[in-house]
Amino acid sequence: MMRTLSLRLVAFVALGWAWTASVAVTLHAPATAPAGQGFTIQTEGLGDALFYLLGPSTASKRTVHLGNDISIGSEMVSSAGRYEAILCSGEDCAHTTFEITAAEPARLSFFLHPSRVPVSAPDAIDATAFVFDRYYNPVLTPAKVEFQIVPRATATFSRIVPSERGVAWMRMASSGKEGPVRITAKLGEVSVPRVIQQVAAEACGLRVKEIPGKNGVTLETDPVRDCGGNPLPDGTIVSFTNIDSAGKTTVDAPIKRGVARAQLTVRGSGRVSVACGVVLGNELSITGSM
Amino acid sequence: MRRGLPLLLTVVSLLLVAIAWVQAGGFRRHEISSAATPEEAVQAFMADVQAHNWDGAYARLDPSNDVEKAAFIRDIAGSDGSLRTYAALQSFDTWPLHADENSAVLRVRLKWSTAVGSLDDVRDLPVRRDGSIWRVVWPKPNFPAVPPQVVPVNYLRWDVVGRDNDQAWGAQGVDPPQVRITSMNAVERPDRVVVMGEIENEDTVPAYVNVNATLLRADGSVIDQEGSFDLISHTLLPKQVSPYRIDFPGIRIAAVKSVRMDARPLLVPASADPVITVASQVVEKDGLGRNVLRGDLINQSGETVNISQVLSTFYDAAGKVIWVSAGYVDQALLPQVSTPFALDVPDDIASRMKNYHVVVNHYVRTSS
Amino acid sequence: MSCRFHPMRTFFLTLALAVGAGAQSLPQVNLNAEGLGPRSIEQLTGTNITRDYALAWQTMAQALEQNRSDLLKQQFTGIAQERLRRRIADQEQNGLRMEIVDRGHRVKAVFYSLDGGAMQLMDDVKMQVQIFDGSRLIESEDASHQYVVLMTPGADRWYVRYLEETPGGSR
Repeated sequence: MMRTLSLRLVAFVALGWAWTASVAVTLHAPATAPAGQGFTIQTEGLGDALFYLLGPSTASKRTVHLGNDISIGSEMVSSAGRYEAILCSGEDCAHTTFEITAAEPARLSFFLHPSRVPVSAPDAIDATAFVFDRYYNPVLTPAKVEFQIVPRATATFSRIVPSERGVAWMRMASSGKEGPVRITAKLGEVSVPRVIQQVAAEACGLRVKEIPGKNGVTLETDPVRDCGGNPLPDGTIVSFTNIDSAGKTTVDAPIKRGVARAQLTVRGSGRVSVACGVVLGNELSITGSM
Repeated sequence: MRRGLPLLLTVVSLLLVAIAWVQAGGFRRHEISSAATPEEAVQAFMADVQAHNWDGAYARLDPSNDVEKAAFIRDIAGSDGSLRTYAALQSFDTWPLHADENSAVLRVRLKWSTAVGSLDDVRDLPVRRDGSIWRVVWPKPNFPAVPPQVVPVNYLRWDVVGRDNDQAWGAQGVDPPQVRITSMNAVERPDRVVVMGEIENEDTVPAYVNVNATLLRADGSVIDQEGSFDLISHTLLPKQVSPYRIDFPGIRIAAVKSVRMDARPLLVPASADPVITVASQVVEKDGLGRNVLRGDLINQSGETVNISQVLSTFYDAAGKVIWVSAGYVDQALLPQVSTPFALDVPDDIASRMKNYHVVVNHYVRTSS
Repeated sequence: MSCRFHPMRTFFLTLALAVGAGAQSLPQVNLNAEGLGPRSIEQLTGTNITRDYALAWQTMAQALEQNRSDLLKQQFTGIAQERLRRRIADQEQNGLRMEIVDRGHRVKAVFYSLDGGAMQLMDDVKMQVQIFDGSRLIESEDASHQYVVLMTPGADRWYVRYLEETPGGSR
């Protein structure tokens, strides 16, 4: 009888061990979840285990009780990307992966170039918007980004561009009038404005004339404008050159109140020319003191 | 024997001292300090200038010109924070032009060393016999009198408000200025390859520019990379054009397959003042027979320009840039006053050039 | 502003970069810029992007293995740097580390902004990843992973601004 009892005891213990071994550590997580939303991971097994959560900005470790759900807080899954959950009980480890996707679009990084663009330049303005969610995850699914353009002298208009892999871009020509241009990138409730300046293009029809005066020769340009009639901004350099019997004289004078002015001493007869950047103006014959 | 040894030691010591004296230039200094001939007088005078011994140099002047000591020192040592005030006379050469019993004229070539390189100055110095010595006749300095006046400054000035680095990526910024290299020409000179051309600020804001060039072999590997350093007018106002020149010493052009250019513009605060007129420009020979581009700089503002640099672009008949010369003016540009300058022009360039354009860099020392 | 004296053709032959740098070589990066737009890529830019991306991966592997977030600023900026910093801080706090054996990248450049200020890449990378808790290996994986990457230029190099793993890698 004692022998039978022992055999039964051994069998009972062996069965117990076998049963424990067959209850493996497992965990089940959703395949995907949006960023910033907490969820739970189901576990199976007996006893306690170490739970690891590894993600783009996370590497956590804590002790959990197998069989209970593991709560994943929203702050742990705010970064989009691939996550790995690992559960280790003794030598036995199980793992699963899941993906956190970007939440709804909530931010735009909007680039508008260049800060200053010459008028009437084809495809000169480029606008690029990067779409992010509130956690700064790029929103890789297509989203319709509206670029609203408010030029200075013409009517407002819009262009809708679908984003691709989180990027929406467009380019456009500058208009014919100088002045600020406001472009706003919009996506849902998000709205990001930018302002660039349309500036006069190269000087056109540059003309210089002589202003009679007592001291030397004063040269003055007509109001310096581009071919569209836009005035070149003050500070733009105009080069005056005079060649006379004494040699060559040059003055780089900035435009002030729309015109550039220079005072030269001319000996005998001289030949005056004017230039602005690489644009040449007219030539003038003048007579100075002998 | 007892007297012989001390005597021998004394003689040997004296001999060693004499040898040391000679090796240290004792003979030359004796010649220089003697002023017994016109050459000696000028050399002694220059040696005093070199040593900043203004009292000694002034004492060698002929009193007939009635040059005041303060004016003489101001003339030779510079003033108004000019480049001359930071310079030292490195060397000088003299040679006689003509001489008689009581007077002579010597040509002196002075080489000044400064923080921005060496400056050459050539003067013709009259000397006159005064008893047994010769004295230098220093021309009475004629410093321009700047009349007291009020000069309104109403030229444009640009300030830059930068972006806060803490702002998120994508926040509004200000683009750097748009500049364009309008021409590039790579030529071989006797001991180097030179890359030169012009760059324009196409934007409506001031730009601080540097131009770099990389010489590449046929296989695309880099031979050398250099920058324009100070052979460029760094600050360009809107629509301003500057020459640039980049030297590659020791390189032969046969080894160069291509040149990669890189212009780096920065947005900087700037002022359109001062305006400097470059008047009476002419290419001619100087006293040493060298080709020079001469002219006068006239500072039209009311502020002294302490240090100025003149850059000149030389063009051939086709309008191609064939050379860029640069030089510093060692005098300050006083308001409304004409100041001469001269730039060296290589002989081969002088014979080929059809046109030239001069620009002026200026540096104003700010008061602390 | 660069003058392009060597403009890239639209179809960009793969640029392999495997540079031995002392005892540690850079990961191999093959960059394909065929069809890249709206801005076409200059040859020098292609070389620099390839080099700096390889350096970024090398730096990241080193930082994650040694739990040294100070290394990240050399090649990472913005969101990418911030996230890696948090990851490394967590690893250090919990006694974890990650070892990456980089087996190479096939990178396709898919977007280059007109102003040259941003380039988006799709990277197919083969790597072995091992996670250690102290000295205990808790996870080992040898697989392909796909990343979407944004790089932006700095003063003298390109930085990784975001680096996000996307589904599509295979075991």
